[in-house]
Amino acid sequence: MLIKNIYHNLIKYKFLLIELIKRDFKIKYKRSVLGILWSVLYPLLMMSVMALIFSQMFKFNMEGVNFLVYLMTGLVMFGYFSEATNSSLISIVSNFSLINKVYIPKYIFPLAKCLFAGINFLLTLIPLVLIMLISGSPEAGTKCYLNIYYLIIPYIFLCIFMFTLGMSYLLSALTVFLRDIIYIWGIILTILNYVTPIFYPLAMLPTYLQTIFKLNPLYMYIGSLREVLLFSRMPSTYLLVGMFVTGFVMMIFGMYFFRKKQDKFVYYM
Amino acid sequence: MIKIKNVSMKFNLGIENDNSLKMMFIRFFNFKKRKKQEYFWALKDIDFNIEKGEVVGVIGINGAGKSTLLKVVSGVYKPTTGEVIVNGKISPMIELGAGFDADLTARENIYLNGAILGYDKEFLDEKFNEIVQFAEVKEFLDVPVKNFSSGMVAKLAFSISTIVNPQVLIVDEILSVGDLKFQEKSKNKMMSMITGGTTVLYVSHSLEAIKNLCSKVIWLDHGKIVMFGETNEVCEAYYKSQQES
Repeated sequence: MLIKNIYHNLIKYKFLLIELIKRDFKIKYKRSVLGILWSVLYPLLMMSVMALIFSQMFKFNMEGVNFLVYLMTGLVMFGYFSEATNSSLISIVSNFSLINKVYIPKYIFPLAKCLFAGINFLLTLIPLVLIMLISGSPEAGTKCYLNIYYLIIPYIFLCIFMFTLGMSYLLSALTVFLRDIIYIWGIILTILNYVTPIFYPLAMLPTYLQTIFKLNPLYMYIGSLREVLLFSRMPSTYLLVGMFVTGFVMMIFGMYFFRKKQDKFVYYM
Repeated sequence: MIKIKNVSMKFNLGIENDNSLKMMFIRFFNFKKRKKQEYFWALKDIDFNIEKGEVVGVIGINGAGKSTLLKVVSGVYKPTTGEVIVNGKISPMIELGAGFDADLTARENIYLNGAILGYDKEFLDEKFNEIVQFAEVKEFLDVPVKNFSSGMVAKLAFSISTIVNPQVLIVDEILSVGDLKFQEKSKNKMMSMITGGTTVLYVSHSLEAIKNLCSKVIWLDHGKIVMFGETNEVCEAYYKSQQES
């Protein structure tokens, strides 16, 4: 019943959703000379800087692992989560003038942001593939190869999408009642950036910390993608199940919270 | 058809100061102040029906709840209590150009604004030329709206909003925008929409216009219905009360 309702609404407002995503796209690239090329260039440059810092200054060395690809998977996945949640966060607040005048289902704004960030994310996969193609050497065992486990990559993406969407719904609703969330979330993202093994190997940490860090949903998505891309193997059952459970639970919780609170939004405009 | 059943709408006053962490903290420790919440009933126990094809006017002084009523009917506000039933597609003409993006061109804004108003792509493709022609923006289709004069923006917004033949039309004052020529044109367009057999809920301060267009009138004061009935009767009573005060 509820699912059917959501589905009908989605069909009804599909066009609006597309138009909102198109708007974001046009606004984002309208003024820059390189335009959409930045989606490819930005993560590439980011990775170069970090690779330089961590391999040269801190002498990170992971035997038999392609560090560039390791870094890039982390950056790209975390980048999606951070971009999507950051833009969703203010999506309700910044559309108040609209929500206050015309009836539009409010859930469409965070969804549009998450999908828009998703398109950007797919573009950042291009530099990732590029790095995979040109880096690594077969002798050191750091070359990445196409393998059968690539088939579960869409599943990984689905899980991180569900998680991000749920988080976005939760945050965008909270921000309506408490504008401080904008700043608080910036700090939380920075913390997450460090507690998620993006640029360092998890094995570097003491065992008890490893156990804790493995509970981080973002670790599950990034870790799974690395298993497939770097080591050509199936992610562990823990990761496979954990990914779905965290993603699904977050999505349902976020949606439920948003749904419960959305009628109160107009009072806080 | 519009059915309003016992609708009340409550606003919290001074909620503005409330949405920061600091205020939450203060309220948490300030037990005395916490219970003191001021309420304001923008609408109280509103109850009426509008049949299909009826044109109903809404009058009342500023702050009587007219706009709130329109927003409740159009679904922007969910009433605190009561129920609103509207059969048919609503076209709210409360504020035009909501959702225009200054950085986008006129062409892009037609589609974006159309989508916000609930039109689909096929409909907009079909009506695109008509909108452009009515708004008189043909030469400026690919210019960002921020470079438009405010009159041009208003003309474009008006043309997009009035392209439909809605089953239920909600109007806050007759909108006549733009230069003299366009004012005439837009007024005629509104009139033809109102008199074209649709169900209309129409807010105005002009008793003249109300008398011309409406068959029934609702008189609101302090969020309550003072009178609901024949146009002349209600207008007369309203006029009298205004004279006295």
